[in-house]
Amino acid sequence: MTDKIIELLKQSSADFWSVEDIVTEGWEFYFIKHQLDQNRVRDVEHITVEVYRKLEDGKLVGRASEEIAPTASVEEAKKIIDALCERATFAPNPYYELNKEQAQVENKEYDVQKMAQEFIEAMQEVPETSGEDINSYEIFAERCKRRFVNSEGIDVTITYPNSMVEVVVNARNDEHEIELYRMYKAGTCDKASLVKDISDTLKFGKDRLHTVPTPNLGKATVLLSTEDSKQLFTWAATHMHAAYKYMGYSDWEAGQPAIKDVKGDKLTIKAVKELPNSANNRAVDSEGAIARDMYIIKDNITENFWGDVQFRYYLGVKDSYNAGNFVTEGGSKTEAELRCGKYLEPVEFSDFSVNPITGDIAGEIRLAYLHDGDEVTVVSGGSVSGNVNELFQNVGFSKELRQYNNAVVPAVVRLENVTISGAE
Amino acid sequence: MKAKFSEYLTSIAPGLKELIAELGKSYDYVSVLSTDSVGFSISASQRVKSIYGDTLMVERGNVVRVYKDGLYSEYAFNLFDTDNVGEKATKIKEVLDKQLAVLKATNTKVYDTGKLSDEPEQLFVEMDTTDLPEETDLDALMNKLKSFSDKGKSLSEEIIDCTVSGESTHVCKMFLTANRDLRQSYVQSTGSVLMLTARGDKTEYAYESLSDREGPAIFDGLEELLEKGLESVQANLGAERIIPGEYEVITTPEVSGLIAHEAFGHGVEMDMFVKKRALGQEYIGKRVGSDLVTMHEGAKVCKNTSSYAFDDEGTLAGDVIEIDKGILKTGVCDALAALRLGTVATGNGKRQNFEHKVYTRMTNTMFDSGNSTKEEMIASIKKGYLLSGFFSGMEDPKHWGIQCIIARGYEIIDGKLTGKVVAPVVLTGYVPDLLNSISMASTDYVPFGAGQCGKGHKEWVKTVDGGPYLKCVARLG
Repeated sequence: MTDKIIELLKQSSADFWSVEDIVTEGWEFYFIKHQLDQNRVRDVEHITVEVYRKLEDGKLVGRASEEIAPTASVEEAKKIIDALCERATFAPNPYYELNKEQAQVENKEYDVQKMAQEFIEAMQEVPETSGEDINSYEIFAERCKRRFVNSEGIDVTITYPNSMVEVVVNARNDEHEIELYRMYKAGTCDKASLVKDISDTLKFGKDRLHTVPTPNLGKATVLLSTEDSKQLFTWAATHMHAAYKYMGYSDWEAGQPAIKDVKGDKLTIKAVKELPNSANNRAVDSEGAIARDMYIIKDNITENFWGDVQFRYYLGVKDSYNAGNFVTEGGSKTEAELRCGKYLEPVEFSDFSVNPITGDIAGEIRLAYLHDGDEVTVVSGGSVSGNVNELFQNVGFSKELRQYNNAVVPAVVRLENVTISGAE
Repeated sequence: MKAKFSEYLTSIAPGLKELIAELGKSYDYVSVLSTDSVGFSISASQRVKSIYGDTLMVERGNVVRVYKDGLYSEYAFNLFDTDNVGEKATKIKEVLDKQLAVLKATNTKVYDTGKLSDEPEQLFVEMDTTDLPEETDLDALMNKLKSFSDKGKSLSEEIIDCTVSGESTHVCKMFLTANRDLRQSYVQSTGSVLMLTARGDKTEYAYESLSDREGPAIFDGLEELLEKGLESVQANLGAERIIPGEYEVITTPEVSGLIAHEAFGHGVEMDMFVKKRALGQEYIGKRVGSDLVTMHEGAKVCKNTSSYAFDDEGTLAGDVIEIDKGILKTGVCDALAALRLGTVATGNGKRQNFEHKVYTRMTNTMFDSGNSTKEEMIASIKKGYLLSGFFSGMEDPKHWGIQCIIARGYEIIDGKLTGKVVAPVVLTGYVPDLLNSISMASTDYVPFGAGQCGKGHKEWVKTVDGGPYLKCVARLG
């Protein structure tokens, strides 16, 4: 159907156009304990068409998009494309151009059945006890084939795996039972990593059985050592997204410091084409731009905006793309050196959130370790709050790094003067 | 006017019934949910305009559910040729058999579940709507939204941009089994105003919204949200940080809805009972809130974006009283969870779209109103805050914790608003403590349906929540 649509687009009144055709075979298994709740298959194809019209002698360009069902007839597809060509004139924006450079891609084959089986076997290998075990889990394994074609000469097909496991674990004693939640995203199944992380989670669960209310600490040092820290760096990377900049959500300027008055470690974030087993490894982005390694922020100085071609064009950024993988470099101290004095180490939040625009952080503490010299108290309740713009002025990043799917970040992040509302 | 049912679904219905009959030779229960929902999203700001042909609910596809030997399996697809039904049935059986081979190879046991009943039922519903998204003059609508954006931008020099957006979906769904044939068509729309401002180094924004089970005509109401958006964002620009502590608070209907949603909405989704993941299971018949707390849940509770005629498993819409004068009565339940718990489905089985699994999900979750006025409630507070707007919330059904990120709190001292604002505000606490502290409820009853809700961190669906102003005691940080 895609080739027929391309022919229709060539014959249409569109000045530029693009077509994306994604074919997905997904296998899903849902478990209660280790018993199968339900098995599912997704066998779908989604074809999305975008048309562009030049307006006012080429000063403006309008775009409209819609999915065309793979079951559509040629007549139905033509009707949709004609409607899009008219609709595109309703949404005029400053002129921009589409990506033009054709990528050379080598694709691999992925076996969705094998992926799914490996996830099931991994979950069966998690060491459980009568006190800590798995409540339920959901396995999603996908093999995707994506073809992107545009009017500027790009015609590229990539294949990639995509997987996700959602796990809920329980820990219990004679008095009560608690649960912890994890979601793992990756390319294929990394059995050893998955089993280790869930085993660590079971240990957190055991600790959560014996907590005391978080004291009212007022302002305190907070050390983030779990995937929650990834959100801090996502916030920073997002402030370098071309759309964020153009729309006014980010006031960061190219070649200027990202964070003002930095006294601690300086932020360096790099977009990278690939990370081991990341679910976001792609040779090209969703608009056909070629993925590559590039600094987004280096030593706290902003280097490259990234993102959609439209907004990059407006900012005058050509050699960039819509990145999917990011590496944040480590700081000046080791994890052991950052773990000093009195500090709170939250390892479970209800939902650790970083406001993408204001940088305000917030999270209800479900489990934290309050360190004071050699003494460690396990606490829960209350919340942390603050603002990344201020907290990153005096931040400590560990030299050691850790990967969470599409992001490599310092294994430990030390934040000073975080507001702690206690639960006492 | 009526929201006309999909001609496409009508055309494939005979083929799908044939598919059900063919699969019925191999399985003990077969159903198909088919969807054909069209719509658009549109946005205008000072810098960018956009029109897309998709929304959260735009979709076209089918999902087959089959049952055999205690196991339910599903196959979601969007390539269907009514002339090759036998071929499709063979393909479905082959791929599901491959999955069973994996289960056998891994010695996986099945969670044995009974067979769904297939009582005969016929339903054809075309709901009333102001207008249809597919017939909307998008050129005129874009010009209207742009004029609203211009007006919003002109309200203050501190405004960087004012983005005015709308999305509207004409939802058509068909649920078929050997004995059931349910078809529904309705339109739901949501609109919003996002005001972005800066004062010195501080960037703030405010989000105001509207929603209804109506067509794009409701976007006319966006103009009225501009002043409210300005007032909200200016309050945030001048806000201070709150001193953490426990305070008497009044929640606006929007925040009351968020509490209803996070506190007992998720907490009584009964698929969580099957997994023993909800503390509420042990509190049925017990007190969980003050006498002022009565909470309804169901697609029939009110008319808004989650008000349908039947759910994604073919169960008719309901209206369940979850909490009655502070006593937890029951939860809501999808069809498979109901089978496993020995109870009845309540019409809350929802999918993100045809590609996704059914879970027990909320529809309209509403606190009942009370007898007080907002002014009486404010006058009753010695020192506290009026909490307004929110950014996010998170459920914790296992431990009854609650986390709400509130947009701003207006200080109240000696029964009067002082004009001082704190922002943002993190509301946390133990759900029964919070609900038991409710001491006043206003006569208002306002639903909010512009947002969407996830289960855990995925499975996004439209939900609605709200109620009156509530006075309670909460921990703020």
